[in-house]
Amino acid sequence: VCAWHPCPSTETALGSSDNLEHRRKDRQVRLAAFGINSILYQRGIYPPETFTRVTHYDLSLLLTTDPKLKSYLTNVVSQLKEWLFECTVQKLVLVITCLETNEVLERWQFDIECDKSAKESSAPREKSIKTIQHEIRSVIRQITATVTFLPLLETPCAFDLLVYTDKDLVVPDKWEESGPQTIDQPEEVRLHSFTTSIHKVNSMVAYKKTESA
Amino acid sequence: MDLEDDTTILTTLKSFNSFISRPEHPQRLSEHSAGSGILQSQYKRSMELLEAAERVHSKNRYLQLDQEKKQMELSHKRARFELERAASDSARDLEHEVDRNQELLGQIKKLEERAEEVNKKLTEQKEANDALQKNLEGLNKTLEERDDKLGTANQTIRSLKDEIRELRQKIQNQDSKMSAQTLENQELQEKIDLQQRKYQEVSQLCQSLQAAQSSCSDHIIKIKELERRLVFQEQDFAIVKTVKSEVARVPDLEKELKRLRDDNAYLRESRENCSLLKEEVEGLRKKLERMEKTKEELINMELEKEVKVWARSQSELRAELTQQHSKTLEEQKKREAQDALVRRLQKRVLLLTKERDGMRAILESYDSELAPTEYSPQLSKRLREAEDILLKTQSHNAEMEVCLQACINILFFFALLNSVCACIFFLRQKIEDLERERQRLEEQNNILEMRLERHNLQGDYDPVKTRVLHLKMNPTAIAKQERQQEVEALRQEVTRLRDLVRSLQSGGAVGHSQDDTHNPSFSLSLAPSKEVLDLRKQMESSELRNQRLKEVFQRKIQEFRTVCYVLTGYQIDITTENQYRLTSVYAEHMDDSLLFKKGSNGSMQLMETEFSKTLGEMVALHLHHQKSIPAFLSAVTLDLFSRQTTV
Repeated sequence: VCAWHPCPSTETALGSSDNLEHRRKDRQVRLAAFGINSILYQRGIYPPETFTRVTHYDLSLLLTTDPKLKSYLTNVVSQLKEWLFECTVQKLVLVITCLETNEVLERWQFDIECDKSAKESSAPREKSIKTIQHEIRSVIRQITATVTFLPLLETPCAFDLLVYTDKDLVVPDKWEESGPQTIDQPEEVRLHSFTTSIHKVNSMVAYKKTESA
Repeated sequence: MDLEDDTTILTTLKSFNSFISRPEHPQRLSEHSAGSGILQSQYKRSMELLEAAERVHSKNRYLQLDQEKKQMELSHKRARFELERAASDSARDLEHEVDRNQELLGQIKKLEERAEEVNKKLTEQKEANDALQKNLEGLNKTLEERDDKLGTANQTIRSLKDEIRELRQKIQNQDSKMSAQTLENQELQEKIDLQQRKYQEVSQLCQSLQAAQSSCSDHIIKIKELERRLVFQEQDFAIVKTVKSEVARVPDLEKELKRLRDDNAYLRESRENCSLLKEEVEGLRKKLERMEKTKEELINMELEKEVKVWARSQSELRAELTQQHSKTLEEQKKREAQDALVRRLQKRVLLLTKERDGMRAILESYDSELAPTEYSPQLSKRLREAEDILLKTQSHNAEMEVCLQACINILFFFALLNSVCACIFFLRQKIEDLERERQRLEEQNNILEMRLERHNLQGDYDPVKTRVLHLKMNPTAIAKQERQQEVEALRQEVTRLRDLVRSLQSGGAVGHSQDDTHNPSFSLSLAPSKEVLDLRKQMESSELRNQRLKEVFQRKIQEFRTVCYVLTGYQIDITTENQYRLTSVYAEHMDDSLLFKKGSNGSMQLMETEFSKTLGEMVALHLHHQKSIPAFLSAVTLDLFSRQTTV
């Protein structure tokens, strides 16, 4: 059972604007999930044979089959969807840590600017499948392109997802506060930003400079 | 007989030749027989000739030879026989020897094979030993490496802990710095707000200043216009005056004409009025002087007044504007008064000039009519002098008026300009200072904003507004836990391997079986090579075989012994080397036993025991007399048996 399809019940039960909102959030959250999967595949955090091709929006995309990873991502993504709806998310960060030295080697940061006033008042404009495809393709293309200049990850690594939220929101059960996990003297590369109907997402990747002789 | 002898001799010769030639050239016989037919005939003939001569000599010889030959043959035969026998014997011996040789060779081969096998086994064992030693060395090395790794891991753990501590401290420092920076930021923002307000105020002031400036310029323009108007008015006034004067002249002239005519008539009547005229002239002069003084006094007073007024107005700009107005009004009034005065004066002057002219005309007429007397030139001179003085005073008046005007104007404008300029300058400086501060603050703001953005890019956040969250069970934490567990497991394995190696090193030379029994896990933790495994299997199988053989032997021996015991009635035990203890089945006491010793020549001898002392008779009979141990033993058995059954 794929975890990414929207609940059909929500589409019929809720009103039109809420319904659209939910669908928008679903899309954005799915975009984030595709992006994360793509990064994990491209950087080799998990072996490539654990990824399978899935068709969404007439595109062939890679998703992981590792059950632990899947459950982790589902947890994070569902919570993220809630927070996106409340517009309390500021950033989503994917941190890649080296297991031997416990240093942060790479940091993928997505700044989310939420237009809070446009939450309810935005016109109920349906996004065509082409624009959705374009968004997903641009995100994945950028991630694939960064692999050309990012340094190789030769040591065993693990990743973590951090969410920057407003201070005043209640921390849910399974979540805890963590440090920003920044890189010491990083190289930063800004990626192309893209906009959805109410969010503007700026993305960048920071990586630790390799000590080249 | 000779022929027969010849033939016999020939045949014997042939046989002899053949005998001679047989072992060497058996083939030549045939050649001789075929190709030597002719030669033989010749040879025969020669031989016959020769033989005829040697017959007698050789007959004996031949007979002797024959005899000898026969003897030889006999002896040969005997020798041959014996030789044959010997040969056969030797052949047989040879065969035996060959067989033995072959057997020995076979044995040798077997022995060699065994030796090879043993060598191989030795080499294999050696190789196995070497391999095991290498394995041991490898194990030692791996242990050392693992020790090193553990050491390095420990070091890295320590260093990581230190790093963690340092990082925590850094984080704390950075937090404090961040809070300080936020505070600074707030302060700066407040300052920026203040500055913005100031800037707004200043801009308002500037605007008001500009408005004031514009109003000032407007006022200046108005003043200029007023001046121009004044000038025009003056010009108009002058024109009007002239016109008026001209207009006024006419009736005056007419009047004067009439008057003059009357005066003429009157003057004609009295010449004596000259002195009166003089006195009048003097009176006029004095009047003029007084007029001048009063004018000057008036002028001075007015100047003083105006100076005081200007001095008062210099302190305030706004009051000046109103004062300007008042001043202009005053000035205008003054000017009007002056003008009035001037007009009056001018009128008076005109009148006077007219009077003068009239007088002059009269005088001239008088002069023309009358003869030139002493008084008229003096009069005329005095008149001229008076006129000159009038003119001078007029010009002086005019000049004074002009100067006054100019001074007034200059003073006025200077004062205005000074005040306005001073204000403008002051305000401009203020504006510049504020502008500079604004720019500086803007630059600072930009730098701070850039820094904030950079920090934001790097992932820093404002702890007052944001929070960073992640799931407790995230892949990195899980991976770190697993790594810890792995490290722990490795450590335990290393300690275990160390113990194993120590035990190996201490008891390694004894044998592999010990290792197997002591540490059955040895074979599990190592990566055993195939040879070692095979050798071990062989060893195990050989040991098993040994064990089984031992068991079998034991059983068999036990069986045999029991059977012996049962059948012979004696239990035979080997006490020491070559000493045998026999215990009978019917022995009355447990320790009744016979002791036999095997001697050096192989014979058994009975030793003295307690029991044997009681059997002296039987010993004497069976052993000493009959020299049969079995008889003795059976006698003892029978004796004991009989005793047993009876008892």
